[in-house]
Amino acid sequence: MLTWKRSALALWVAVAIATALAQEKEQGTLISEVDMYVSPDTTSQKLARATRGRNVILVMERTNMGGRSWSHVLVVVDVDLERQSERQISGWVPSSVVVTTATPNGDQIIYGEAVDSENQAQQRGGRRHADEDAMRLYYRLYEYFPSSPLAGEALWRAADIRWQREKADTRLRPSSREMDASMREGMDETTMKLVHKKFPHTKWADLASYDLIDNKLCGSWRGEAKCPEKESDMYEKYAREHPQSPKAAEALYNAAWRQAALVDMYKAAHENDKSEKARKKSMELAQEIAGHFAESDWRPQALELIYALQQGIPTYDVENKKPIS
Amino acid sequence: MVKRGRQFGLAIVLALASATCSAAERGTVIREAALYGSASANSQKVAPVERGRDLTVLERSDSGGQPWVKISMAADEARISREVTGWVPAQALITASTANGDQIVFGEAVSSEHQAEERGGRKGAAEDAMRLYARVPELYPGSPLAAEALWRSADIRWQLAKADFLRSGTQPEEKYLNAVIAKFPQSKQAELAAYDLLEAKLCPEWRGLAECPEKESGLFEQYAREHAQSPKAAEALYNAAWRQAALADIYRIDNEMNKSEAARKKATALAQQIAGQFAQSDWKPRAMDLTYKLEKKIPIYGQVIE
Repeated sequence: MLTWKRSALALWVAVAIATALAQEKEQGTLISEVDMYVSPDTTSQKLARATRGRNVILVMERTNMGGRSWSHVLVVVDVDLERQSERQISGWVPSSVVVTTATPNGDQIIYGEAVDSENQAQQRGGRRHADEDAMRLYYRLYEYFPSSPLAGEALWRAADIRWQREKADTRLRPSSREMDASMREGMDETTMKLVHKKFPHTKWADLASYDLIDNKLCGSWRGEAKCPEKESDMYEKYAREHPQSPKAAEALYNAAWRQAALVDMYKAAHENDKSEKARKKSMELAQEIAGHFAESDWRPQALELIYALQQGIPTYDVENKKPIS
Repeated sequence: MVKRGRQFGLAIVLALASATCSAAERGTVIREAALYGSASANSQKVAPVERGRDLTVLERSDSGGQPWVKISMAADEARISREVTGWVPAQALITASTANGDQIVFGEAVSSEHQAEERGGRKGAAEDAMRLYARVPELYPGSPLAAEALWRSADIRWQLAKADFLRSGTQPEEKYLNAVIAKFPQSKQAELAAYDLLEAKLCPEWRGLAECPEKESGLFEQYAREHAQSPKAAEALYNAAWRQAALADIYRIDNEMNKSEAARKKATALAQQIAGQFAQSDWKPRAMDLTYKLEKKIPIYGQVIE
């Protein structure tokens, strides 16, 4: 009994010391692309080029040299998610570009640099890999400033950038046209699920849930009704379960639009009852959007859909098996 | 006296012509259609009718159990001299008398804009959106969507012309943005149009000279002062601050230390103003990031000073 108590006490002490050490460690990220040097001197040997948002897992020491402040840092420069490995390099960088947990307003500075990188990524001729910089910077903010008021938004943005990048890659693969979602490799859901776990019942969790629907959509409908049926249900369910989500109107519109496509599919298959049922459902959903989201762009889009349904303007090209865009 | 009589006669002719024009029903299509030689899908196709084209309705008819309309339209909107006439199915035609017509045309414009933004979206979707938005104030001048539609149309045209400028060297036309300011003065849309117009005054390249960022910073700051309620006010102030920060580097490279310090102080003051006034937007952290870089003397323009 005494032995067990001693062991438990020793374990508790060890955990407490480790936690205290982790809390004392100065960690952060880089807000500018810099060269890492062997010693605190720009004439010394260059070790690597470290990009924005890289994980500075430890600031080991600081010194002044040649009238400027230098930091000796341990930086993660390469992460291989598949092999679950990473490469770390230690070297010297100018202290000015290292924003750590000890930097006043560090969360705001990292977030600001992330927004700047995101804007760069959206600009024609913007900085190369700026989207990756933004993704890393947003993630670092969440990682090192978890109680910042910006943490939820930052984690969501990091997850969304990763998601959109993977989505673009996935679309280039032949398997992206597989009708059944289980027949193709989807986007990695880890970071989205982290948003759910860390910030449940928030706007960001709602947005993450919306992105996750992408993994359940058919790659191609191939003219079969089961795809738009299933997708319409998923979008409607989302809108019902997340009525406060910024994506609720879009989800309802996606549900209504798929029902409109079903009208054309069933009509072509001479299943007139099903076609009429889909038309009614589409109208109901579109009217709900027009009523509930009067101040958004979704209202005119819903009214346009209603008009198309009333006039019998097709939404789906049955002959060529593709939506009429 | 005779002269006056002839002038009076001319006035009557003009008035009659104007009345005829205003009586003609105008509209547009919300789906791409073919223009046929007669009211039948089996007749010869004359031309495509893209979404948002400005159409004049000449005649209506039922043929083959389907309503048809005879329309005339400019064969090329850039050269309005040639008009073509023909028949289109009436289903997708929206006119000033269509119930909720403004919402329907605006809704199709939004959908087209989304298409244009999507990877692999419909070809020509941006032009479709531009035309559809332009039709809203023309067909429904009293619509609550008119100002927003006119602004969006002018902005899409501006962005397309800007992209084309890089290729062709042709300067974007300012008249469409000026029309937003003239028709809806003091509105949010007029402020946005004024912001777009600033781009025409920016230098294509700075070439490391202080003159350009000096002038541009002044322009953006002036915009922010004159349009304090604009959705672009924070962005304008940030652009002014960022250019002052760049000037701090340019002057330092030129060894004009006093000017460099003055620019640094000006940039810091502007960035602090953003952080104070726009606390709930993304511009606050961006301004704080800029302030930090100014404090730490992290260069934002030119080569890193070692």
